[in-house]
Amino acid sequence: MAQEKIRCLLAMLGTDVHSKGIRTLAQLLRDRGVEVVYLGEHNTADGVINALIAEDADVLGLSYSTATYLHYTHDLLDKMRKAGVADVPVMLGGLIHADDEPALREMGVKGIFGPGSGMDQIAAFLQDVTGKSLTGDASSST
Amino acid sequence: MNKPPVPEDVSRAADIKAHLEDVSVKLSRTATWSGIETKNSYGPADVEGMDYARDLGEPGEYPYTRGSFPEMYRSRMWTLRNIVGYGAPEDTREGIENALKLGTAGINIVLDTLSQEAVDPDHPAFSPDAGQEGCSLPTVRDLEVLLSGIDVTRTGVAWHTTMMIYPLVVAMAKKQGRDLSKLLGSHMPDHLQLRLSVGNEITVPTVLGHRTTVDCLEYSSRHTPRWSLGCPQAYNLRERGVPASGEIALGMAIVKLTLRDLAARGVGVDQVAPSMAWVSGSDIDFFEEVAKFRALRRIWARTMKEQFGSQDARSQRLRIACHTSGRALVYPQPLNNLARATVQTLAALLGGVQSLETCTYDEPICIPTEAARELATRTQQILANEVGAARTADPLGGSYYVESLTNQVEADALGLLDRIEAIGLIKAIEDGTIEGLMDDYNYQFKKEMDRGERIVVGVNKFIPKPEPSPKRFSFDPKGMVAHMERFRALKLERDQTLLKDKIGQLYRVARSGENAHPAMIDALIADASIGEVWGTVRVASGLSYDPFRVVESPFAYPEI
Repeated sequence: MAQEKIRCLLAMLGTDVHSKGIRTLAQLLRDRGVEVVYLGEHNTADGVINALIAEDADVLGLSYSTATYLHYTHDLLDKMRKAGVADVPVMLGGLIHADDEPALREMGVKGIFGPGSGMDQIAAFLQDVTGKSLTGDASSST
Repeated sequence: MNKPPVPEDVSRAADIKAHLEDVSVKLSRTATWSGIETKNSYGPADVEGMDYARDLGEPGEYPYTRGSFPEMYRSRMWTLRNIVGYGAPEDTREGIENALKLGTAGINIVLDTLSQEAVDPDHPAFSPDAGQEGCSLPTVRDLEVLLSGIDVTRTGVAWHTTMMIYPLVVAMAKKQGRDLSKLLGSHMPDHLQLRLSVGNEITVPTVLGHRTTVDCLEYSSRHTPRWSLGCPQAYNLRERGVPASGEIALGMAIVKLTLRDLAARGVGVDQVAPSMAWVSGSDIDFFEEVAKFRALRRIWARTMKEQFGSQDARSQRLRIACHTSGRALVYPQPLNNLARATVQTLAALLGGVQSLETCTYDEPICIPTEAARELATRTQQILANEVGAARTADPLGGSYYVESLTNQVEADALGLLDRIEAIGLIKAIEDGTIEGLMDDYNYQFKKEMDRGERIVVGVNKFIPKPEPSPKRFSFDPKGMVAHMERFRALKLERDQTLLKDKIGQLYRVARSGENAHPAMIDALIADASIGEVWGTVRVASGLSYDPFRVVESPFAYPEI
């Protein structure tokens, strides 16, 4: 029987335009057999939640390179609770400062992949939180 | 008799071996950072067929490969730039005054992401970003606060932004009764670049964006001839993900389309090109960057003369405004970025740029701290005064390797330019071809790092032990609170009849397809905000007022 793939929604919130990282991540996750929906830049929290529901994603990934991620993440998680989709695990990447990690965990962020994080860590996280396994090409191993 | 080694000794010996391997300085790559394969050495055969007068020329002579001016830095040093921008106009003003004390030449301002995209700071979805990565500047009133006491026909301000700043500055100058023909300053009116680096059609529609670039250049060439136009803004394209040759190819594609459209409006190459400057990056591969600047000047000169019929040397000799690459700087062990930025800065100087900003070492962490900004300034002062970077024009010219690499970068750039033009630039942007190229470049870059074919110190090799998190820039938010209150109050207090009249006129002009700049400027003088002006232009172009469809237009537009 065919293994069900992990479905991951990736998006950027706010007016941050530093999208190289998340676009590259989208491709690297596809290489590993993840079904990735990249929602693009400049999303509102409501837009992300609508997409989350429409796409029936297992995981939500956000990337930030600007300083306002605490606000945007808090607001999004709050709205996810109100929309009844708070069970979808959220992971963050980009320029996440180590000093902010406790506050983000406290809010309910499940995975934080700041500078120095590698694909294997992200892949392990995805398998862990979804209970599904990855079967794709794992040749990239940083 | 040898005793078998105890396990502890084995492990220590392995540690020593690993350490020896880890600290060694190795040749880990023979291709340039952009991927051009390099030979063991270069000699006369590699530059065979080159003609000095035809392909290089003296510095200051066509085709300007060796530099745009005969005496280069002996006649005029490069302009040391330090870009400042955070919080409210008052906050940025304070930052500018501090930067000037350090030795920055001139005033260089970056706007926040909202102002960069013509979105008002009270936007319900994005308000937290106001003032975060640059100065919040939504109205002429705010510009008056930021530049209080500064006469914009005597002191030029360099604006590191694309949308709305030019109409704002012209509006302020007109309001103050200044002579526009003397207006000084520069900005980067390249909307196609913005479309590509912002990454979507929603925020910056390709066709409307390009039309606005042409409008701006037409208006400026007719009314503010001393204003400089940073077009193309190739820095952002390069940072988004293209090789050195790709920076030239994309930038030239944008410039050529813009010049053709200007010619159709009766603005000839020699009326506008002398005001144009190339906004460039300087990445980490020293020789490749030097070659890029040289190849770029040659391509520019030949294009202007041979394809556009330029007869004015000022159109053909390219001025380059350079910012060292922020992308090449990394988060781990941030002080290493000082070494990177120094090499990038030296490459830009030996490549002959006219203005130069050195990225601060804390670029990957936050907006620059004062301490990091000072080090970036000192870097340029050391290169200028101690290293001898300014002593002679094109010091690497004549090197077999650098000449050969210049030819190679040029050939790659012209090849890609042909491919883009065969599709058509607008189509190649709208259908995702160019974004696809960029995404693929970044993907391959990452794969090469994963395979160890590309080493970035501290990232995929020589990874440092965990260290305390670097200090971040912060500023007192009280200026922003007052700024937001002032913005809301202005919206209530302004002359509503005048405002509606000017917005209505803007709508009519924008609908007609005429140059919208005069009407945009008039609306800004009547205290319309950037979001209102751009929103009205959008509606007139058949788009939603707010790109994000959160805010409804507060105006009733006339029936046409």
